Amino acid sequence: MTEVTHATGHHEAEHAAPPQGWHRWTAGGWLRALWMAPLFAGIGLGIVLFFRWLGHWHPLFEWNTIVVVAFLTALPLGFLAGIGAFDYWVRYALGAPTQPEDHSGHGARSWKDYFRVNTDHKVIGIQYLSTVFVFFIVGGLLAMLVRGELARPGLQYTDAQGFNGLFTLHATLMIFLFIIPAFAGIANYVVPLMLGAPDMAFPRLNALSFWLLPIAGLILVGSFFAPGGPPAAGWTGYASLSTHQPMGTLFFNMAVQWAGASSIMTALNFLVTIITMRAPGMTFWRMPLLVWANFTTSLLVVIATPFIAGSQFFVMFDRILHTHFFDPHHGGNVIAYQHIFWFYSHPAVYIMILPGFGIISEVISVFARKPIFGYRLMALSLLAILVLGFSVWAHHMFVSGMASYLRVPMMITTLLIAVPTGVKVFNWLATLWEGRIHLQTPMLWALGFISTFVIGGLSGVYLGAVPIDIHMSDTYFIVAHIHYVLFGGAFFTIMAGIYFWFPKMTGRMYNETLGKWHFWLTFVAFNLTFFPMHLIGTQGMPRRVADYAPKFADWNFFISVCSFALGASVIIFFYNIIHSWRYGPLAGDNPWRSLTLEWQVTSPPPVFNFDEIPQVVGNPYEYGVPGARHALLNGARTHELEEVGH
Amino acid sequence: MLLFIASEVMLFGSFFTAYFFVRVVNGYSWPPPGFELPKYVAGINTAILVTSSFTVHWALQSIRRGNRRGMQAGLVLTFLMGLTFLLTQMIEYARVGFAPHDNAFTTIFFCLTGLHGAHVFVGLTILAFATTRAFRGHFSAEHHYGVEIPGIYWHFVDVMWIVVYATVYLL
Repeated sequence: MTEVTHATGHHEAEHAAPPQGWHRWTAGGWLRALWMAPLFAGIGLGIVLFFRWLGHWHPLFEWNTIVVVAFLTALPLGFLAGIGAFDYWVRYALGAPTQPEDHSGHGARSWKDYFRVNTDHKVIGIQYLSTVFVFFIVGGLLAMLVRGELARPGLQYTDAQGFNGLFTLHATLMIFLFIIPAFAGIANYVVPLMLGAPDMAFPRLNALSFWLLPIAGLILVGSFFAPGGPPAAGWTGYASLSTHQPMGTLFFNMAVQWAGASSIMTALNFLVTIITMRAPGMTFWRMPLLVWANFTTSLLVVIATPFIAGSQFFVMFDRILHTHFFDPHHGGNVIAYQHIFWFYSHPAVYIMILPGFGIISEVISVFARKPIFGYRLMALSLLAILVLGFSVWAHHMFVSGMASYLRVPMMITTLLIAVPTGVKVFNWLATLWEGRIHLQTPMLWALGFISTFVIGGLSGVYLGAVPIDIHMSDTYFIVAHIHYVLFGGAFFTIMAGIYFWFPKMTGRMYNETLGKWHFWLTFVAFNLTFFPMHLIGTQGMPRRVADYAPKFADWNFFISVCSFALGASVIIFFYNIIHSWRYGPLAGDNPWRSLTLEWQVTSPPPVFNFDEIPQVVGNPYEYGVPGARHALLNGARTHELEEVGH
Repeated sequence: MLLFIASEVMLFGSFFTAYFFVRVVNGYSWPPPGFELPKYVAGINTAILVTSSFTVHWALQSIRRGNRRGMQAGLVLTFLMGLTFLLTQMIEYARVGFAPHDNAFTTIFFCLTGLHGAHVFVGLTILAFATTRAFRGHFSAEHHYGVEIPGIYWHFVDVMWIVVYATVYLL
């Protein structure tokens, strides 16, 4: 069996000898985390008990406070300290001499490197992608349980509270532990390569951001064991339901904080990398659109995410400190929660789609062998969505009882935001027009995306109109819309991205036949599952209910069966990925004949990406233009410039 | 750094949004009858914090011109003033006569000033590192990011306090 060659950079230093004896328990890693995590938890417990004793508050063992401080904050911090995520900064703070940077810890040489704190953006990207798919499976199984319960009227195997927990965790896991970090993972791998950079601007921060993610996921999965069950107030967690639910809600509050912190740190890293580490000659207008998309998304994350942190803090304070943010009897305001929550969560949906737009632009250009139509307007429409995205949040609140004068302005801004999105769709179609189209798996996902995302966008335009939303709010029409834009939208782009960059990341090619089967099975099952939801929604079936009127029974049964097929389709994907990763044929450097920089290095890339700094001389989409060059690499020099004619 | 400050400003923004709902939307009287805010002590505290912003700027300007002693003096003064601010706030918390769980007004008061206090604590920690390093000779006219970055954070803490003070205590 042929081996994938890992080309090494010129800094191939010796690995430091692994620690021996009791040093294994003090060197950064899982063994040290094994004792540091309970130690920190104990300290957290001590702090709570100390202050409660000092203030004469009863009962001394107040479990809500103890769970939040000791188990949801201190224990994860101990885990992070143990595996070594803070090592460099602690050494700095203690004034210890900095360890010489021989970069021997950078990059991956064995599978074990993927389970520790690693600063290589390529390793971190794969860590992200592997982790998010674990939570994708959990979230997907929860969806299967939801559909199983809904297959027939009446309660099958869960009560209403339990059902609420199922869909709450399904949505929370899918949004915060799958879609958002999946895009972060793809971007982490690809963006520095596309920029011609050796890594991200802050590699240690990058590593820390990754390790916050499994913590958030474990907190959510662990919430099943909280007394009273998992969080059950929906992923939206509205007060005052969330402020009066059992302890599981605290798990949701804290998990969102950890995931949000991870997201913000990653976004800051991307912004600095994109602004400061582009290869010479790469102006903003010569950046690939994936970079533009991640730039815009990172701006959204940095500005919007603190609002969801604030909203969850307020719910926690109301529960633990007995404050009155949302208690109208003491001057609080319940609608405040919705405004604060949606001020983040609407930009969040753009965070969940803009990187996908970037991926689609890359894939369509390569597989149609044509430059992206209207490159500048594509970049500008990303910026327009960024700006407009902050002005539409109250369209989630048309029926909430908020100030009625907000409704029409929010409707107008909501309909407006369809314009830049439409510009992008038309530009993709114009790119395809008279292109030489190659229908490999990434392209199938991209084309499928355009169809399903447009349907989701159209239902969104309907919902943006206040009178229609009043009728369809909290019905299955919304569920249909959500899944068309998130599954048919974001998930399809994640699939396109993974299939597209799989050869670059692993050095091997996936099985094309299985890829096509995966796409078609998913595409058909997806449409059969979610399209009927438009219908039953308009007929009045509410969402987030464990039981429903008998007239919806037939459609629900049909939807449930199709959803099981949809769930089964992921098995093909996992088999393909895992099998091809080990036994697939070698892919070579540039199987797709793409012009962007990541395809100009080996698959997988060298540890520090480029053996010499690329010189960018043109834009990245000049397919079909004879002699066009995006960048000069590996000794290519002036005779090629003369070919171009300058 | 400025991008990070932007996200921190937005975090305060969410707390200010809650304030907006309690005070403006609900029309709660501020402060409600029977509750008083220590405006004058907080005013003096404001003066202390604003001065500390000047001293940290002086520290940065000094090291830019190679004046080590000026930098060290500026950083020490900034740290001490920041510490005074924090301790004064903590004493006022104990003496103010109401608790966060009383009503929405007290909730917002403690949470908004408390969020700010937490940021002062973080700022003091960063300043402590900078001061210690300053006395160990780590900075020079060419290399002083370790003074500039804490300075930017401290300015953010200061400006945020002016906004918090104005909205919570004065308006």
